[in-house]
Amino acid sequence: MDRGFLLESLRSAIEAIKTNKLRSLLTTLGIIIGVTTVIAVISVISGLKTQVASSFSTLGANVLYVQKYPWVMGGAGIDWWKIRQRKDIGMDEFRALKEYGSSFKYVAPQITYRYDVKVGNKNARGVEVIGTTEHFPEIRDQGVKLGRFLSMDDIRYKRDICILGQDVVNTLYPDENPIGKVVRIKGRVLTVIGILKELGDLMGQSMDNVVVVPYTTMSKFVGRRRSITITVLAQDEEEASEEIRWILRRLRKVKPGEDDDFSINSSGAITKQFNELTRTMFIIMIGIAGISLVVGGIGIMNIMLVSVTERTREIGVRKAIGAKSSEILSQFLLESVMISFVGGIIGIFLGFSLTKLISTIGNMPFGMPIWSIVLGFSFSFFIGVFFGIYPARKAAALSPVEALRYE
Amino acid sequence: MSNLIEMKKVKKTYQLGETEVHALQGVNVKISKGEFISIVGPSGSGKSTLMHIIGCLDIPSEGAYHLQGEDVGEMNGDQLADIRKKFIGFVFQDFYLLSDVTAWYNVALPMIYNRVPPRTRKERAINLLEEVGLADRINHLPSQLSGGERQRVTIARALSNNPEIILADEPTGNLDSVTGEGVMQIFYKLHEEGKTVIIVTHEHYVADQAERKIRLKDGMIEDEG
Repeated sequence: MDRGFLLESLRSAIEAIKTNKLRSLLTTLGIIIGVTTVIAVISVISGLKTQVASSFSTLGANVLYVQKYPWVMGGAGIDWWKIRQRKDIGMDEFRALKEYGSSFKYVAPQITYRYDVKVGNKNARGVEVIGTTEHFPEIRDQGVKLGRFLSMDDIRYKRDICILGQDVVNTLYPDENPIGKVVRIKGRVLTVIGILKELGDLMGQSMDNVVVVPYTTMSKFVGRRRSITITVLAQDEEEASEEIRWILRRLRKVKPGEDDDFSINSSGAITKQFNELTRTMFIIMIGIAGISLVVGGIGIMNIMLVSVTERTREIGVRKAIGAKSSEILSQFLLESVMISFVGGIIGIFLGFSLTKLISTIGNMPFGMPIWSIVLGFSFSFFIGVFFGIYPARKAAALSPVEALRYE
Repeated sequence: MSNLIEMKKVKKTYQLGETEVHALQGVNVKISKGEFISIVGPSGSGKSTLMHIIGCLDIPSEGAYHLQGEDVGEMNGDQLADIRKKFIGFVFQDFYLLSDVTAWYNVALPMIYNRVPPRTRKERAINLLEEVGLADRINHLPSQLSGGERQRVTIARALSNNPEIILADEPTGNLDSVTGEGVMQIFYKLHEEGKTVIIVTHEHYVADQAERKIRLKDGMIEDEG
């Protein structure tokens, strides 16, 4: 296309939009809402995905958590009542997995309670006290940064020792090396033998507010028993899962055909569940966005028809001075694409702001994929062309005589 | 002199709702290059229709129209647009200028469709405005110009692609007689420069200035010469 003509069409389109600022803005509202929704949904979901992926990666790959309840209770066909009636997971299950499991690298129980941990008049409240074995570091991929971890003998002889997380150290021994010193949990005096490496946050919660003790020692001061977690480091998640199911179904006498009465959780499984959840959300939101884009497109078509009627005489003049039908068509098509594009740009900007706002309020990582912007632009372009073609053709098809005569 | 325009038994019939309007009922016209012609007649006589056909804005329902030897009746929309662009400059009673652009841009508009390079376009538009006596109105918007000035802009626009024929439809219809006289002088000057000037009018003082008068009545030529 000739540059002069293109520039004239652009100028004319801009002029038309400028003359009817409010009308153009109202027209683009549907496009704005549609593109905003698309951008915001894509960005928020991709931000959430990044967060979930990075958060659960601290839980370690190939780690299975055998527990009474699933981490994510969503989806159809979940029988809440049945899940609530499940038997606790206890040490019998741990021993069975340890004895019969052949595809696991390591198995360790994690008995978790929240207690206050005290030294003198200093008190670290609500610390996650974990009773486990010497394999905890391998499974959790978290060793000690100072001192040593638990040994088999520590477990066997139920030694009164513990390893502190960094948060607890910060509270109880902010200025000195705690190794060899003592802490009190539920009145029991435990000697500190090491400090755990820091893990940081998981979903906004510190992973370093922990104390690790031998699970045998823990049973000395734990009151009422609760269901425990058995952690398994697998070579292959699928294979290990099957083996766990096989062993535990027999141990817990689950009849064939009945559902498992325990849950095998993992970071992989939760990511999968999360993806399924977001996919549904995604489809619904894209559907809503699609509807508003179509409505916006119809709005554009409507306003372009008005514009063609209003400017019938101008079309007549342009034709009289030599404009071809195709040139009239291009001019009006450019105008509708431009209106749509302006809507798209506003939508992208609003989508960006909305995502920023959501990520700030929700304390989530901000991520706006480039392809969502490309998608926003393509949508608005496509809508502009698709819904602009009919009015533009109508303009192009006007007979010069009738267009000039139009009052 | 060769015939620039040659019409034979041209008829034009419109469908106006249920009724057929026979706007032209067999018109024979010959116009040579460089002539200064007025087309006159009462309203409804078919003079506008004749002008539309001469200007290639419309084609005859019956009969033949040759412009510079080319058969216009056989042309499609784009070919007609091309003819209009190159051979014909229109001057309208209501000026029909684009209201949102300056005088020079209005004059340059036909050159855009004729693919004239931008710099030449502006230069030529300014020259044309100087020619019609609007050297100091180049950057004015139509709304800032008087009726007579607007009509001069329209004439400059009609000249921008250097057409053979200037076709004016009631060019003085919206002007007082003094201003109208000024506009007529421009047409006269163009005629002297060798352009073919055809003016449709119902005003006697305008029609009388032409070399030849074509008088229409009820879709037929009543009197010629």
